[in-house]
Amino acid sequence: MASATTERERPRRRTAPPGDGEGAAAPPYRVTQRLTLRVAVLGVLVLVVFAALFLRLWALQVLAGAKYVDQAQANSYRTLRVQAPRGPILDRNGRVLVLNEPAQAVLLWPNDLPKVYTARYAELTRIARVTRVPLYEIAAGIKRRLGDPLTPVVVRDAASTAMLTYLAEHESEFPGVGVGRTYIRHYPYHSLAAQLLGYVGEISSNELQTDAKLGYVAGDEIGQSGVESTYDTYLRGVAGSERLHVDSHGRPQGSVIQTVLAKPGHRLRLTLDLKLQQAAEKALQSGIQFARNNGQWAASGGAIVALDPNDGSVLALASSPTYEPSVFAGRVSLRALADQGLTQKTAQAKNYPSLDRALVGTYPPGSVFKPVTALAAMQEHIVAPYAYLPCTGSYSSRYDKAKVPHQFHNWDPNVNQQMDLPTALAYSCDTYFYQLGDLFYGLPKDRGQPLQKWADAFGFGSTTGSDLGPEAPGLVPTSGWRLRTYTPKLDPCCWAVDSLWKPGDSIQLAIGQKDLLVTPLQMARFYAVIANGGKLVTPHILMDVENQNGAAVPVAAPPAPKPVGVDPAALQVVRQGLWEGTHLPFGTSYGVFGKFPVSIAGKTGTAEKVVTLPGYKGLQNQSWWCGYGPTNDAKIVVCVVIENGGHGGTAAAPAAMQVFARFFHVKAQLAAPIHSD
Amino acid sequence: MLEYAGSQRTGLQAHREGVALVAVLRSIDWLLLAGVAGLVAVGLWAVKGVTRFDFPGHPTYYLDRQILYAAVGGLALIIALVVDPDLYRRYWRAVFGSTVGLIAIVFVVGRAARGSTRWINVGFFTFQPSEFGKLLCVLALAGFIAERARAANEVRTTLRTLGLGAIPVVLVFAQPDLGTALVYLAAIAAMLFVCGTPWKHLTALGAVAVLVAVGVLWAGPAVGVDFLKGYQKQRLTCFTRPATCPVDARYNVEQSIAAVGSGEVNGRGVQNATQTRLDFLPEHHTDFVFASFSEQRGFVGASLLLALYLLVLWRGLRVVTVARDLYSAIVAGGIVIALLFQIFVNVGMTMGIAPITGIPLPFVSVGGSSMIANLAAMGVLLAVHARGRAARSYRR
Repeated sequence: MASATTERERPRRRTAPPGDGEGAAAPPYRVTQRLTLRVAVLGVLVLVVFAALFLRLWALQVLAGAKYVDQAQANSYRTLRVQAPRGPILDRNGRVLVLNEPAQAVLLWPNDLPKVYTARYAELTRIARVTRVPLYEIAAGIKRRLGDPLTPVVVRDAASTAMLTYLAEHESEFPGVGVGRTYIRHYPYHSLAAQLLGYVGEISSNELQTDAKLGYVAGDEIGQSGVESTYDTYLRGVAGSERLHVDSHGRPQGSVIQTVLAKPGHRLRLTLDLKLQQAAEKALQSGIQFARNNGQWAASGGAIVALDPNDGSVLALASSPTYEPSVFAGRVSLRALADQGLTQKTAQAKNYPSLDRALVGTYPPGSVFKPVTALAAMQEHIVAPYAYLPCTGSYSSRYDKAKVPHQFHNWDPNVNQQMDLPTALAYSCDTYFYQLGDLFYGLPKDRGQPLQKWADAFGFGSTTGSDLGPEAPGLVPTSGWRLRTYTPKLDPCCWAVDSLWKPGDSIQLAIGQKDLLVTPLQMARFYAVIANGGKLVTPHILMDVENQNGAAVPVAAPPAPKPVGVDPAALQVVRQGLWEGTHLPFGTSYGVFGKFPVSIAGKTGTAEKVVTLPGYKGLQNQSWWCGYGPTNDAKIVVCVVIENGGHGGTAAAPAAMQVFARFFHVKAQLAAPIHSD
Repeated sequence: MLEYAGSQRTGLQAHREGVALVAVLRSIDWLLLAGVAGLVAVGLWAVKGVTRFDFPGHPTYYLDRQILYAAVGGLALIIALVVDPDLYRRYWRAVFGSTVGLIAIVFVVGRAARGSTRWINVGFFTFQPSEFGKLLCVLALAGFIAERARAANEVRTTLRTLGLGAIPVVLVFAQPDLGTALVYLAAIAAMLFVCGTPWKHLTALGAVAVLVAVGVLWAGPAVGVDFLKGYQKQRLTCFTRPATCPVDARYNVEQSIAAVGSGEVNGRGVQNATQTRLDFLPEHHTDFVFASFSEQRGFVGASLLLALYLLVLWRGLRVVTVARDLYSAIVAGGIVIALLFQIFVNVGMTMGIAPITGIPLPFVSVGGSSMIANLAAMGVLLAVHARGRAARSYRR
């Protein structure tokens, strides 16, 4: 204080402060009451502000903290789904038909794309350029994932090393892009059994809604057809998961935190025999070639079914034309699909290669249906098997009251002899069976329609219940079906006539013509009934299922063969007829099977079908052959159909012979020039 | 002690002429100084944790810089403490002119960042004039107001003050830096309030402010005139109507709230604070530093920080009452309220109770201009206090 005292003596002012114009003494500054009040107001303001801040802080951190911890953690963890390797598919001898190849997929998490539209667009354009996937496909993929931020969009399955390296080197320019391990289907035998095995594709949103209960999620690969689809549950395995710490750009930080290992899919063993399948496909091609060599210019497709007649297991199932299923593996390009005839635009030009003609191809069977008529006639006692009926060049219904009755012609117009049932089968006499048809027509009303009833019992007109995939039921025409189908609405001009069941319907049904439609699989199953002594089998392809360690996985056994209630004696007559058809010189397939080292029994068929081809509309013969061998202890049933292939003996029978030759490991040669039907 | 008439003033003047540094130092508000030191310390601690993972391999990148800024700021504080505030009053015109010039220079040589031109590059340091402008503006305008203290009741005075203050405000707003412009306005309002502007004027000003806000946010766009940039408006309307807000605009706030909330009582620590560490929280070393700090240190840490602010504000308001003269009181009021406004808007923004504006958190956000300017402002506060106390001790 001493120094302060001396300072008090100093002069009051030396310079006037600028702005203080008067230079006179300003009133001493005092803290007025007003200022104190105002400072107090400011103090209250400070307190209010801090009360608000503290309260909010308290509410967020203490009251609701746990919620935000969850939120923050959900932010920073990402669960990646680890795709399970799909199980391989083997043939009955353990040869691999379909397997997996590991690949790297380019994945995209749309949420981590830049939020600004232009930047987002620029990045997507870059991704499209690097992965060579059109931008619109990526955009469509992102659209599919709307509302599902956790599942990445697969931009490209099976990306090349160059693409992956580029993406890795430019990681910072591609926020939201990642690489995932994936597996793609590999087909060592290319198009072998393509329709039967089916293919795999990403699950569609429609499928997702129906199969959601089975644990499929968006982005899963699912069998789209054939065995891949039927047994998808065994093949797909169980996806694993990895939990990763990611930053705000989705970039993984550190290593995987928690892993649930993916369980690989089971190994599926089929009853299919690789070598027989290869032979069948080759046989089908040569059958088509035979037909073409015979001048059947329209012969283009066909199917071969080979079954074990005793249990219905499928040994071979060929359908032509076919395609390369590898176009569905990895990135599916529309152009590749179009090249294979798998798009709507190109399917017709390529004659519908994705169609499994053995299952969904419906054809009039023609003469291969005659055993059905024979068995039904014997069961219904309208013909004695060894009584003789005339086989003539043509036949008119005894119920045809027209002045000039309609003539139904035999395929061989020059024949005129008496025949018993086996011979009529072997010779494939149409007029003989016309008479049976006429007899069926003439049955009293209370007997119903026994021919159709037996056809139903033999499995026609309905699907076989196989595990092969979707099937066509075919059609067994009845009087009721005519009434239902030809209504005034659907057939305004002629429904009054068309809705009636007429003698010609019965007559033509007896030789498997007109409205009757069957699939090759149904026909093979029927010949299995003949071969195994009267039991209807359910065709099936699955032999067994093993897990990755080789332990058997329990699967439902295929339905046991059901007796159809056909008289063994009647069956024996038909078997004799089929044997004669291949072994006696007048038999329709003697020329093919007469000298075959193993005894084969079978029947040709030549079915007329109205077809529409480019630049042609009219009747074309569908070439059929069905049969089994060895005759008395059948191990295999083979049914062949060659579309527009002409006579059964000239196209289908030689093709069937090649399948038998492979099955019995014998060399085959033609016994005589092929003659007819 | 016995007092004689006039002796006070004589003593005061004598003291003013001589540089009795010892007396000034003796009269320092040690509590205020301790509060500021505490804030700087906590701020550095926060920056250390928050920016640990921002530069891989260089965990103290921002901390090193911030320490340097704090050291320079400390020097600025000491200088401001030593300089008699009366100097600013005498030369307020020069101060004002240079402030406006400094802010305006940005438009000529400024460096743009994130769509805004606020910085000048001076080699080793990018310098943000508007931060220093806060303090300089207060010093200059207080001089203007103090000159007209006796006419404080007149409308003319109030309007002139506003007119003068509008120059830097408009310049800052045009950078564009809406947040800082609002800080200026808050400081001007506080200065008018402290100088004794009648309640009638203040009420009218408040009404005008409301009208302007309504006009800018709703009426203007309705007739096709946009004063604000799209993002600025979005930020403001997002705050008032979160439900109508697009996700992109809401993102920062949501991440920030999640960061604050997830800190809970004790904080998640530096390692586990994923919102910060994994970059979910944008700008976590500058605008959103409070959220990051709260995530890492929890309610305990955040409360400590807020308590220190409260301490400084309390002592600051007290400085207004112990000021030696009206000029000093006005300066102190402006500084304190500007500080309060910045704290509220920044902290409130991170917790979703204030609109998003790019205002740094004083003493904590990484940034040299802000740190130095704020420490200098604290130096002025301390100077006002010290001289007020010194004067009062003579009065006794």
